[in-house]
Amino acid sequence: MSVVTPVTDGTAPRPGLVRPRPRPRRLFTRRSFTKHGAGGGWPFLVPFLASLLIWVYGPAAATVVLSFLRWNLTSGPPAFAGLTNYRALFADPNFLPAAWQTLLYAAGIIPLGVALPLWLAIALWKRPGRAAFTYRCLLFTPVMLAPVATAISWQFALNPLQGVLHALCDAVGLPTPDVLGDPGTALWGLDLITAGKVIGLNVLLFGAALAAVDPRTVEAARLDGATEGQVTRHVLVPQLRRTAVLLTMLAAVYAGQWSFTNISVLTQGGPVNRTDNVYYLIYVYGFDYFDIGRAAAASVLVVAALGVLLVAGGLLRRRRDARA
Amino acid sequence: MTRRTPRRSIAVSASALAVAIGLMTAACGTAATSASGSAPGATITLSFLSYNYGTPDLGGQGTQELINAFEAANPTIKIKPQGVPVADALTEAQTETAAGDPPDVAQIGWSKMAAAYRALPVTAVQDIPTAAQWGAATVGMSQPLLRAVEANGKVVAMPYTISTPTLFYNATLFEKAGLNPADPPATVAEAQRDGLAIAKTGGSGVYFDIADAAKSDFLTQSIIDANGGSEISPSGQPNVDQPAAVAALAAMRELTTSGAQPAVSEADAIAAFDAGKLGMLVTSTAVLAGIESAAQGKFDLRTAAMPGFAGKPAHTTFSGAGLVVLAKDKAHQQAAWQFIKFLTSAEGFTIITSKIGYLPLRPAIVTDPRYLGAYFRKDPRIGPALKQLDEVTPYAFFSGAQAAQAVATLQDDAVQPIVFAGASPASTLTGVTRQIQSMLSQ
Amino acid sequence: MPAPDRRSAFPARLRALGTPASSLVTRPLLRRSLPPQSGGRGAPFDSQGMARAGWHLALAASAAFLLAPTVLAVLASLKPAGDLYDANPLPLHPTLDSYRVAIADFPVVRLLADTVAVAAGVTILQLIVATLAAYALVEGGARAGRLALAAGTVAVLVPAQALIIPQFLLVTHLGWQNTFAGLIVPQLSGCAVPLLLLRQQVRAIPASLTEAATLDGANSWQALWHVVLPVMRPALGAVAILVFAGTWNEYLWPLIAAPGGTPGTIQTGLALFLNTEGANPGPLLAAATLATLPVLAAYGCAARQITNAFMHSGIE
Repeated sequence: MSVVTPVTDGTAPRPGLVRPRPRPRRLFTRRSFTKHGAGGGWPFLVPFLASLLIWVYGPAAATVVLSFLRWNLTSGPPAFAGLTNYRALFADPNFLPAAWQTLLYAAGIIPLGVALPLWLAIALWKRPGRAAFTYRCLLFTPVMLAPVATAISWQFALNPLQGVLHALCDAVGLPTPDVLGDPGTALWGLDLITAGKVIGLNVLLFGAALAAVDPRTVEAARLDGATEGQVTRHVLVPQLRRTAVLLTMLAAVYAGQWSFTNISVLTQGGPVNRTDNVYYLIYVYGFDYFDIGRAAAASVLVVAALGVLLVAGGLLRRRRDARA
Repeated sequence: MTRRTPRRSIAVSASALAVAIGLMTAACGTAATSASGSAPGATITLSFLSYNYGTPDLGGQGTQELINAFEAANPTIKIKPQGVPVADALTEAQTETAAGDPPDVAQIGWSKMAAAYRALPVTAVQDIPTAAQWGAATVGMSQPLLRAVEANGKVVAMPYTISTPTLFYNATLFEKAGLNPADPPATVAEAQRDGLAIAKTGGSGVYFDIADAAKSDFLTQSIIDANGGSEISPSGQPNVDQPAAVAALAAMRELTTSGAQPAVSEADAIAAFDAGKLGMLVTSTAVLAGIESAAQGKFDLRTAAMPGFAGKPAHTTFSGAGLVVLAKDKAHQQAAWQFIKFLTSAEGFTIITSKIGYLPLRPAIVTDPRYLGAYFRKDPRIGPALKQLDEVTPYAFFSGAQAAQAVATLQDDAVQPIVFAGASPASTLTGVTRQIQSMLSQ
Repeated sequence: MPAPDRRSAFPARLRALGTPASSLVTRPLLRRSLPPQSGGRGAPFDSQGMARAGWHLALAASAAFLLAPTVLAVLASLKPAGDLYDANPLPLHPTLDSYRVAIADFPVVRLLADTVAVAAGVTILQLIVATLAAYALVEGGARAGRLALAAGTVAVLVPAQALIIPQFLLVTHLGWQNTFAGLIVPQLSGCAVPLLLLRQQVRAIPASLTEAATLDGANSWQALWHVVLPVMRPALGAVAILVFAGTWNEYLWPLIAAPGGTPGTIQTGLALFLNTEGANPGPLLAAATLATLPVLAAYGCAARQITNAFMHSGIE
């Protein structure tokens, strides 16, 4: 049934390492569970599916309905509005730029939020010990600091008239950039601040994935004369691919939402609307203007766009796997 | 990993789960307490939504003092205060109304007042007492202000914590730049000249807080009004493409392009002023208390009226918050009136001005030794802002359901780019006017 | 000849180990006399020391960058109000004034307790739901698994802001505003992420374990409790930390669901300090520091367990 032999130290073998291709259903086949029946899993899924139904899919359906209504939550019953909200969104000169900026948020957080943690985790893995443990703890600390306090601290530091950045630039003789006030750099500044929270967690997650890497592969590569860089690039990274893909997907999807506090505290979508993203706009439409219908319509469009991207990604992966 | 840790963590998790479940059941049992329920004739509890309540020093202590003083004088009325971040005051009132339990009295920022009238079950404050009672209660208040806050001919929201724009300036930096601190600039052109002088000595010159974080157009309206124009027409349509408004914003823009004004955000500018690096700051008097504590021992802080335009009378509008009554039954409305009457009495304004930092809307009390006499003698810095109340113009609102979005659009797409990013005033304002017109007509 | 052998042997060896080596085929290997990492007996001392120094430098720089805002915040909280905006981050005249103000007006202890309760509640609920579902992924039929995964993946994509208004309406309808139930239960909407993270770990459990349990007469529940859970414990610990941290930092939902302040969370409490008409950053930073210290202390005590939880979790 299974071609996998357990490694003696008790950890399960990594599928990415010792599996032959194509991959059979190694671990659980229907045969081993005929006692419980092929449908034996359903009771265990009920809490999960119920939670999603009540708190995600139900509200999502309500949002779709709301997107066709005109309502401001308190004055009077909602009125049917057809496609007005959708048309208003496309007529709003801020919406499409905000959508584009959302993509920029996602793209910007990946180098700092995924690639850097990957590199840091590998560096920590290569030299285990007390120093590595200390660094890991230090990297995790910013995750627990209140996002509002982090935002305010960054605001102090980045003040172009007299923050720490200004002091540093003055010492070197350069003019101080107005990171959060310049339309060209504000978004990237916010991405940087947002990434700070993500790095610590992702270092730990990559570390977890690395713990399952078979050290024999690295030994073999080193004995063959590969440099450290080659070991990293050709031996370790491929084995972290699945984690990296998952974390990239999570970072890309959530970058816009994670920036929410920072946008709301630091730039409020400015300067010149250059740090708006669709998630912030949804909040503004819904809770600043109480234009519930338009907020709902924006939400529907965002989910549709993400769905299209997901399907496209899946198709791309299937085509690449088929070709490989 | 040792075996011990997993068992301990299971125990911890289990007890945490038990605690959580216990808390949830207890909370479910006491959910949905009605804040304004009461037996007839017994104590009435008023729920009071305030963005000053619960904030450290700037308003929290003052508000608590007001509440304590009122409850001491009115034993049959209890106040149940609720704090909220300032940006969310209207949002909070609206969500609580949607939940069926609006606060009895709410402190709403004046820029959101028109939206509050439309969205909340507001009873006009002037309608609650009799005409005689109303007259007696408001006789000492600034009459121009009361006229300015009227909607449909009567006072719907009672002005409470009100501020006008003020010029804060650093007399120490003035002297360092060779300027006379006793002669602050009275016009925007003078402010530019003085700002350039200060910038030459290494600091920053002047900052008009016209594109603030809350996207409020109160200073925009004040500047345009000072130039003889108006931001909004009497019918609620945008008027910013008219020559007076264009010229006013062009003057603001020139402050930046000439180098007298740093193109930074409001928070950065206030931080720089507090650190003694910015010469002049034009913003609401509400920040006076914070600036005073930052300036203590570091520089000589003085105030003056907002710089206007040469040859034109300086009309400013006002900012701050008013009190709306959302209570539905007569008993609570009467209690709310008692509370509001106290908050806007001489005693109330004494606390508001000396503890929270807003203007005393009864101008006579600043010279009355029973109230603010001693305070004002020691610190007359609210004087210029207070005087502006005599010439105050109403705060104007766009018409229609999209008013809030129209204001944000004006600030984000016109004021900020023109003043701080060098956009061309005439074409930008024409474009934004068209945008706002189509928005309002939806 | 050794060189050609080595060049052709390397890719072949890696392919045998299952790693995609197509990228290696055309890449020449640099010849080095000894691998740089192993013992370093013959390697020159400089490169060893420099490599180590470089390692420390890179990690210290990253840690410094990440910690800078935290350190700045703590230092600023010790400054008197007048010095708060000075460019020099160090408090030249340190005082506890901001802390006095913060404690007087900010119910730190109560808010901390409330936030811990909410975060713990959400973590426990999400873990229970996700563990059961992950177990179902392997125990049940392929169709159930695919449905759950699809439902979970799509749920991850739906933004929180999109759902907040209907969730708020539902919570109001249930009368859960300003209660722990209203704060905790709706955050079950995030239970898909733990499932995705736990999924691999559960699949890696050898069938022999559960088969042994089944042969002993255990039903699904007993197999789960006695066999699967102990093996998954490290992964559960790691995921628990993630969910706890995420819920701890959550601002939007508590703002909407519990605006009354009791129960409140640290994040919504801190927002009260951000009053636009005169922001008061000193007490805000002091309150934030007070709110973070117990968490850091707890993390410090449990750091080894936490790190080990991640290291041995086998999450992929």
